[in-house]
Amino acid sequence: MPPAPVTEEELQRLCEFLYRKTGMIFGESKRYYVQRRIDERIAATRAGDFAGYFSLLRSDIDGEIEQFINAFTVNETYFYREDHQLECLTRDLLAERVRDRPRSAPLRIWSAPCSTGEEPYSIAMWLLDNWPLVDAYDIEIVGSDIDSRVVEAAREGLYGKRALMRLSPEVVARYFIPEGEDHWRLIDDLRQSVGFTAVNLVDGPQTRAHGRFDVIFCRNMLIYFDDASRRVAAENLYEALLPGGFICLGHTESMSRISPLFTVRRYADAIVYQRPLERVRG
Amino acid sequence: MPLVRKGGGEAVPPPLAGPSALTRGSADERWSAARSAPLTPEGVEMLATALGLETDERVREAIFTRLARAATPGSVEAVLPHLRSDDARIRTGALDALKAMPTAVAPRLAELLADSDPDVRLLSCEIARELPGPDATRLLCDLLDRETAANVCGAAVEMLTEIADPSAAPALERCAARFPSEPFLTFAIRVALDNIRSAS
Amino acid sequence: MADTAKKRVLVVDDANLVRLYYRDALERAGFEVIEAFNGLEALETLLDGPVDLLIVDVNMPQMDGLTFLTTLRSRDEAIAAIPALITTTEAGPQDEAAARTAGANFYLTKPVSQDALAEYALLMAGGAA
Repeated sequence: MPPAPVTEEELQRLCEFLYRKTGMIFGESKRYYVQRRIDERIAATRAGDFAGYFSLLRSDIDGEIEQFINAFTVNETYFYREDHQLECLTRDLLAERVRDRPRSAPLRIWSAPCSTGEEPYSIAMWLLDNWPLVDAYDIEIVGSDIDSRVVEAAREGLYGKRALMRLSPEVVARYFIPEGEDHWRLIDDLRQSVGFTAVNLVDGPQTRAHGRFDVIFCRNMLIYFDDASRRVAAENLYEALLPGGFICLGHTESMSRISPLFTVRRYADAIVYQRPLERVRG
Repeated sequence: MPLVRKGGGEAVPPPLAGPSALTRGSADERWSAARSAPLTPEGVEMLATALGLETDERVREAIFTRLARAATPGSVEAVLPHLRSDDARIRTGALDALKAMPTAVAPRLAELLADSDPDVRLLSCEIARELPGPDATRLLCDLLDRETAANVCGAAVEMLTEIADPSAAPALERCAARFPSEPFLTFAIRVALDNIRSAS
Repeated sequence: MADTAKKRVLVVDDANLVRLYYRDALERAGFEVIEAFNGLEALETLLDGPVDLLIVDVNMPQMDGLTFLTTLRSRDEAIAAIPALITTTEAGPQDEAAARTAGANFYLTKPVSQDALAEYALLMAGGAA
């Protein structure tokens, strides 16, 4: 017999629980998908009903929290996935970063976690196509992930059709070379313009080894940590930012449940978080 | 091409060695020292001492974070006194740190929920949220049956509302009967009972 | 659709039931209610535009109510001057003094009745519409 439909109250209770636990926000527009996910997971865990499932979720049995939220973060990544943030980068963030800055100082951008590379390569392509000052500054883009296999795949720069689905044919033609049936390889110049490393962002020394950045993209990672690790990761990310530098989270994430270290900034295309500029010591 | 791949930027300098930096040096130095303090009993003790002296909020946060990372009985002991602080930021910091080490704090929870200070009991209800449902329900229902402060009951009811375990219903009903002229508590218990009764 | 004639109240409290209770009282008094979980979320919410009144708890995770209010009052913008009511379980004179130092206009000790809340809100916001 199928379980009774999840009530509005139960849905609310689960969303509130997940927000407290992970910092992930499920807005009104997501509620339908949350409902479906609950039904899927009740079936998958054989919990029987919402009460049984919610008890399991609260205790994070067999990593159920991660199981649940996986459906809402990226299973497949693709190029230009969060173009709002890319817009914000070129329209607003870089403008602030280059103010009062010598041309000799490179701009450093970190994509962490980078998964199979779509995000850092997207940043590279986007800057080349959309930032008027792209020739005026040296830009260093680093992509890092805890999983060394995806880092290896990122270096290869080989992608299937799904990854390219948001790209216009002109962009594909400019930056990719078809390779065999249904695969495209990023041109050498682009592949060589991003440096890839493996890193655990909860590890201070590993993170420090990467230096400081102007902008960090850290999407859909912090939500997976427990409280203690999340706090450490937030501190490490803070340390990895130059004063005044920016960090961009996933669009369902907020720093408000994570750390008071950053100042929230709102731009036309995105909300980002900023490491404060140096305090003047009295 | 303007995009430059380098071998990696200049690394951030490693923190100043020595736990003495925990109480000496600039705020930045103390922050770094706190973040890399050893997680040994000696390290936890030094963090505890530093916590009592630190006035910079960011450094204090880092000390709390490190103690939560240690998650030992010693680090729980180091944080607990600050739950009683008159300073809201320190209370918040202490509570957040305790919630970040649920396994380490669990053995102390019954005692905290029976503390003579109602503010401590109230904040401790929030810690109970981190426990598995049945354990939290049992502890919070025990509290409800002996609690005299309406605000503390309210905090316990908040937790029980999330868990929505039917076994909490009797204690909730008894509490409502004992506080008939507390409008928020009456409201809260009604919501809690509604949640429990509508549970599929 | 939001009724633009209604005055807006931002309720800042990490307890779901408290926010629900206040929302009930304030909506019946004619206000539009928005909510934030803690001081950080309140600051983020205020980026969307000012509100007519803040009702702020003290004990909240990541950023407590007094820190939120102090931060807000130090800003160089219109939102810095929004009237604020602090509600808290702490009941000592030093707590009330701390609230005023942080920039609270009024201070109420919990538990706050719905009638008292609505009365203060109407007073501080100059009516609900």
